[in-house]
Amino acid sequence: MIYSKNYYLDIFKVDLPVLDNLVSTGLSGGGSYCDLFFENTTYGSLLLRDGAVTSGGSHIDFGVGIRVLSGEKTGYAYSESTALQDMLACARSAAQIADSSSEVSPYGTPNPSRGEPNPKADRYPMEKPWRECSMKAFLPFLTTLEKKVREKDGRVVKVMATLAFQVTDVLMYNSSRELKWDTRPMGSVSVTAVFTQEGKMENKSTSRSFRTGAEMLTEALAEEISADVVSDIDARFQAIRPKGGKMPVVMGAGASGILLHEAMGHAFEADFNRKGTSIFSDKMGRQICPRGINIIDDGTIGQNRGSLNYDDEGIPGQKTYMVEDGVLTSYLHDRLSAAHYGVKPTGNGRRESFRYAPIPRMRATYMESGTAKASDLIAGVKKGIYVDEFSNGQVKIGEGDFTFFVKSGYLIEGGRLTAPVKDINIIGNGPQALADIIGVADDLTIDPGAWTCGKEQSVPVSCGIPTVLVKSLTVGGE
Amino acid sequence: MRLDSKEIELAKYCMQFALQNGADQVRITLTKSLLNLVGVLNGEVDKVSHALDRSIQLNLFVDGRYGTFSSNKLDKEGLEAFITDAITIVRMIEPDSYRSLPSPSRVAQNATSGLELDLYDPEYESMTAEKSRALALGSSTFLSFRPSEARGEIFWNLISEEGEYSDSIFDSVTIDSNGLFARHTETSFEIGYEVTVEDRKGNRYSGYWWDATPRLKDLKIDDCSATAIQRARAQIGPKGIRSGKYTVVIDSECASKLLTPVLNALGGFSLQQKNSFMDGTIGKKVFPENLTIMDLPHSKGETGSRLFDSEGVATKETAIIEKGVVKEYFLNTYIAAKMGMEPTVEDATRVKVMPAGGCKTKEDILAKVQDCILVTGFNGGNSNSATGNFSYGIEGFMVREGKIAFPVKEALMTGDFLTLWNNLIFAAEDARLCMSKLIPSIAFAGVDISA
Repeated sequence: MIYSKNYYLDIFKVDLPVLDNLVSTGLSGGGSYCDLFFENTTYGSLLLRDGAVTSGGSHIDFGVGIRVLSGEKTGYAYSESTALQDMLACARSAAQIADSSSEVSPYGTPNPSRGEPNPKADRYPMEKPWRECSMKAFLPFLTTLEKKVREKDGRVVKVMATLAFQVTDVLMYNSSRELKWDTRPMGSVSVTAVFTQEGKMENKSTSRSFRTGAEMLTEALAEEISADVVSDIDARFQAIRPKGGKMPVVMGAGASGILLHEAMGHAFEADFNRKGTSIFSDKMGRQICPRGINIIDDGTIGQNRGSLNYDDEGIPGQKTYMVEDGVLTSYLHDRLSAAHYGVKPTGNGRRESFRYAPIPRMRATYMESGTAKASDLIAGVKKGIYVDEFSNGQVKIGEGDFTFFVKSGYLIEGGRLTAPVKDINIIGNGPQALADIIGVADDLTIDPGAWTCGKEQSVPVSCGIPTVLVKSLTVGGE
Repeated sequence: MRLDSKEIELAKYCMQFALQNGADQVRITLTKSLLNLVGVLNGEVDKVSHALDRSIQLNLFVDGRYGTFSSNKLDKEGLEAFITDAITIVRMIEPDSYRSLPSPSRVAQNATSGLELDLYDPEYESMTAEKSRALALGSSTFLSFRPSEARGEIFWNLISEEGEYSDSIFDSVTIDSNGLFARHTETSFEIGYEVTVEDRKGNRYSGYWWDATPRLKDLKIDDCSATAIQRARAQIGPKGIRSGKYTVVIDSECASKLLTPVLNALGGFSLQQKNSFMDGTIGKKVFPENLTIMDLPHSKGETGSRLFDSEGVATKETAIIEKGVVKEYFLNTYIAAKMGMEPTVEDATRVKVMPAGGCKTKEDILAKVQDCILVTGFNGGNSNSATGNFSYGIEGFMVREGKIAFPVKEALMTGDFLTLWNNLIFAAEDARLCMSKLIPSIAFAGVDISA
């Protein structure tokens, strides 16, 4: 949502002369660039447990972060008050990063972000703004959701459902005199169900998260989530831990895109490359995977959890090709890394809140569809693993090594999905796995779950992938 | 920079305001923290930051209903409006007869100054930007580094070095409408370095080391970067291993990964939701005789000590598991009421795994077991809270005849926690005091490793 400029100036009780004063103070030590990030966030939550919505609350987070750059060095301070004396003290703290030598700013390039935000180009308008709704109106959604879960599977013994929403007003200003503003909504519904069968317990969780207003809370959404959380429970009770070893792995479309985010996406973030820690830091312009593969980080998908009208440095949200036709073509940049590499920022400067300086972060990361059919990819595997969904992935940025837990999947035997598998890990190396992709299907799916990336700070992201066949990965089983 | 009397009075005012405007019971927690951080990149200061936070959290019990609220806008008028709205919201939620404040007989009586646990270092007040920069740079080795080839060793090169030094103070006051007043103050000084090294083939390896302490004089700065480099270097040239059952020694640095899920499974929330593999184990011997785990929250001057939990309930020194018998579930007032059990505390505070098997250090254990896998880190994986099954990626070394033979690659450790802990053979006495959980190097027999 994009309101009028005065809406934001009023919230934060500032005007342009005050903003200029703060920026001047930030640069008083000789810094080359200064920016201000004002934030006003309202959070709300309701929790259904044991059949009733018996817990809820709301939270307010308000403040301003002031950053001063001196060359590639960062000074950062924040204030939870927008009283002028508090903000000036904060600007003076951030100014300490600079030495007395005044530097020419490499960050001052005003384009492409000059110009006032355009409400017509808003990627997340709200029909029912969360802050204008009574929380009482949300209770029936959760009780309906619980009822649907229980109706769909008699083995359910516990259901816990959460509705969380937040609305964040931001106002950004910098020493290039660029002023940007935005209001970012986010609604998330998650549900966990515990099942019992013949004395055994299993659980399953699912979620949906969108940048939208309360209009997302529909009967159809409750139906979709409830169907998802009970799906494949038979397989979970029957699942085995298979024999391990090196074998082909087919990654299902959608949620397994988290592997792309963790194992490759982070290594494309420019700060890791600027510091020389990423395994891709010397591979720009080189072929890193088979031709035909395109990998994208996209901030432009309407209502997507990772989308942004502007990033947290006031750069317009955009779609960035990191890999085109198998060639590494771009890192993900904030202003600092873009200046280092002499390229334009890609709109990836993001932060958890005003308490943090922005760093390069992903938005919605996915691989574009290929031309194969998912069924053909599976049919081509004599013995391997099909993964529906990963969880708890971890990657070592320098080495590129990753380990991912398989939340749900199946054995592939003779080109067919056979026994369900669980409690196994897939281990590999990011660049090697990319190079070993031998098939990409035509079924790209962006997962609608509530993904949060935790690199130093937590930010909402999303991920997606078409069905992909990797020639060989290590599967850890029995 | 501790909370001042005006701020504490504001918290008391908010409590009275809530009571006068419809709340039946109220708990308020007021916090204030200040953190100064200096970042170092490749031997030069790269980042400074200054962070002052204040926040008020309200737990409101209204007409048999309950809600939690917080704000960092601490002006009196704004808070009045916020509390009024909060009470309106609580009234929309469904009633829950199990919600109440803890009984006054259970809350902390001895946490009035916040300084009782000796976690506050007056030296903090004399820190300056110059001192902090010197401490941050004090460990750096980047600028003096020469490639190892120049020293006649197998080639490796230091690609990057990132370090951070920070000092902080945290102060909190928790009050409730039953008369609770509990305060906790602590300072913290932390240093951490992460490095990336490269071998001749261009393969990269990262290493990390850190230290933290409530008192500046105890902070070990000098060897931080050097230790990180040593840990990175040690990983050069990893080899695959065969799948099978191995004796596994877990370095103290990462051992909490194997205990935390057990502690979580003893938590009331998991138990009440039937999502715990420890359900029904209280009072039963489900672990071996050689396993005793204590909660020691009153250790003066040690990181993680607390006199009270988030409800203000007094912590106590107690056995969680004693000679294999489960002695404690972690049940707050609400969960205990729902489960029809006696409440305890919300969570374990400062866990200590007691020595077993007669080895004092990791090296002692390696000398005893001779052939094993030494796990120095975990990389991904997961555990199932309902079944206790786990599967973790591991980093570490093959050990032969008590000596490290080579680093291992692409290996996984799998099993279930009850079986794993029943195969405990050693627990050393080498837990680092900077960790909030005192888990030493530990050894298990017959662990499934797949590779």
